[in-house]
Amino acid sequence: MSPPVTTARLSDLGRYTATPKLMVPAFGLGALGLLATLAGYFTGATGQAAHSYLIAFAYWLGISVAFLIMVAIFHTAKAKWLIVLRRTMETGAASVVIFIPLFVVLLLMTKDLYPWWPGSPLAAHITGLEAEHLSHKQHGYLNPTFFYIRQAIYFAVWAFVAWRLRSWSLKQDETGELDLTVKQRRFSPGSLPFLALTITFASFDWLMSLTPLWQSTIFGVYYFAGSFLAAFCILTLTTVNATGANLYGSVVKLDHFHNLGKLMLAFTAFWAYIAFSQFLLVWIANIPEEAPWYGLRIFGSWRPLSIALFFLHFVLPFFTLLSRNLKLQPRKLAVVAVYILVIHAVDLYWLVWPALTGTEGPTFHWTLVTAFIGVGGISVGFALMQARNRFTLPVKDPYIAESLRYVQP
Amino acid sequence: MAAATTTLYSWVLAEFATPDALVSATRQMREKGFEGMDTYSPYPLHGGSEALGLPPSRVPFIALGGGLTGLATALAMQTWMNTIDYPLNIGGRPLMSLPAWVPITFELSVLFAAFGIFFGLLALSRLPQPYHPVFESDAFRSASTHGYWLSVPHATGQDATTVMDQLKALGATQVTVVTGEKE
Repeated sequence: MSPPVTTARLSDLGRYTATPKLMVPAFGLGALGLLATLAGYFTGATGQAAHSYLIAFAYWLGISVAFLIMVAIFHTAKAKWLIVLRRTMETGAASVVIFIPLFVVLLLMTKDLYPWWPGSPLAAHITGLEAEHLSHKQHGYLNPTFFYIRQAIYFAVWAFVAWRLRSWSLKQDETGELDLTVKQRRFSPGSLPFLALTITFASFDWLMSLTPLWQSTIFGVYYFAGSFLAAFCILTLTTVNATGANLYGSVVKLDHFHNLGKLMLAFTAFWAYIAFSQFLLVWIANIPEEAPWYGLRIFGSWRPLSIALFFLHFVLPFFTLLSRNLKLQPRKLAVVAVYILVIHAVDLYWLVWPALTGTEGPTFHWTLVTAFIGVGGISVGFALMQARNRFTLPVKDPYIAESLRYVQP
Repeated sequence: MAAATTTLYSWVLAEFATPDALVSATRQMREKGFEGMDTYSPYPLHGGSEALGLPPSRVPFIALGGGLTGLATALAMQTWMNTIDYPLNIGGRPLMSLPAWVPITFELSVLFAAFGIFFGLLALSRLPQPYHPVFESDAFRSASTHGYWLSVPHATGQDATTVMDQLKALGATQVTVVTGEKE
């Protein structure tokens, strides 16, 4: 193996200060994107803007919550190799609070997204048995009051866990207390069941209830799998580009990138495994309630995209990431990471957009771009703001030295 | 079995106290130009293959070949069984239904890839190896419990003192020479 890229020393790294160069454009683009999307929403493109916004919201929030779950899992496993990368994950996770105001925007649009929402114009599409089933069986869950309560629970859990873990970690930068590591490691496993349940039900509420009769218990895992994969891609991109003054990229070893590449490979396979598990059960059971969701996607105008998704979201990245050489070249790995981030957006489009256009097939609307940039700009800008005046790695973590000299087994 | 055709091989064996000492000694011996060395330790040695300067392993390609063979076998087997040999209508599905064949295809790909890794590794390492001259050294038995050993090939019959001295200078706790017939 070629020698590690490590050149700097931990003691050379100070607090990260040079953010405005990135943060201001991110916020600016984000604000413009959001305004454009809202303009589209209020000037006729109601359905398109609402669905575009939902895709963008689910995309960026999923990455933030995936970072949170990642931090909790690594603490639970008492993993040491990734400690040099942990601050980035914590920052991504703590950015979950910016999604609270962004969610308020989504609440404006619920009527145009969910057929079960009272007064929704989409309710007209649901007739006969469907409507009866809907009102009788699902009303207890799919009603605005319970919906609001659930959203409050999700965001409370995410914000609390993210704040708890990050504030202990930040405090350790100052004091170096060993007790703080114990606290993080004890708190994380306890938080995991709550994180798993909230992300699952959030995906049910936001994405699955677009088609109220469509039910799949594995749907939450599907959403999580894609988001987790995307979070590893963001982590790789951030680490590759963290090369300036006081940034942790200078102490990261090739072995860390090798691991990130392996995790990207693993979760590419995991996504495919979950996606196929969900599809196989629905396809083989062929129940009238469930089958139409896939029927819409695998026959007719959505068929090419569904087949393309299998090859572009699984086959291509899987065989690309199999290469050991590639995983040892951070720049090339970053290119694959960007590719996966793009295809993950296509995956969410594939989940959401058919609810809007139906058999008409895949269409493009400019709000897809503006909403993506809007939510993305605001959340990335917020994450950069969180990183300001902090160390970009947990400098006083008791295991930081072990992480820095990590050697691939 | 004629004694005249027997070739004798020799190795200088050196034991080190820690894995780090072994890896660093291996690297320095290689830098001095010694070739064909091997390391022995009770558990996988971090950095051992890099110190020995081994070429990239061929096992991944064997695994890929195994996996693709499994994939092709599973698809061919199911297609033949379900559409030609014993066509069976299940719930009105087409006779050739690819989604239903994915689980078997996946399992067989994994199985064949695992076979490829297991048997490919055995073959590339020339295992099982019931006899090797280094087994004659009693001290070498510690390689399977707590010792970290390095073997350096040596021309049979020649004086090994310089090699042994170099190994001792690199921190070897004990050094011996073994000679014997290979395989």
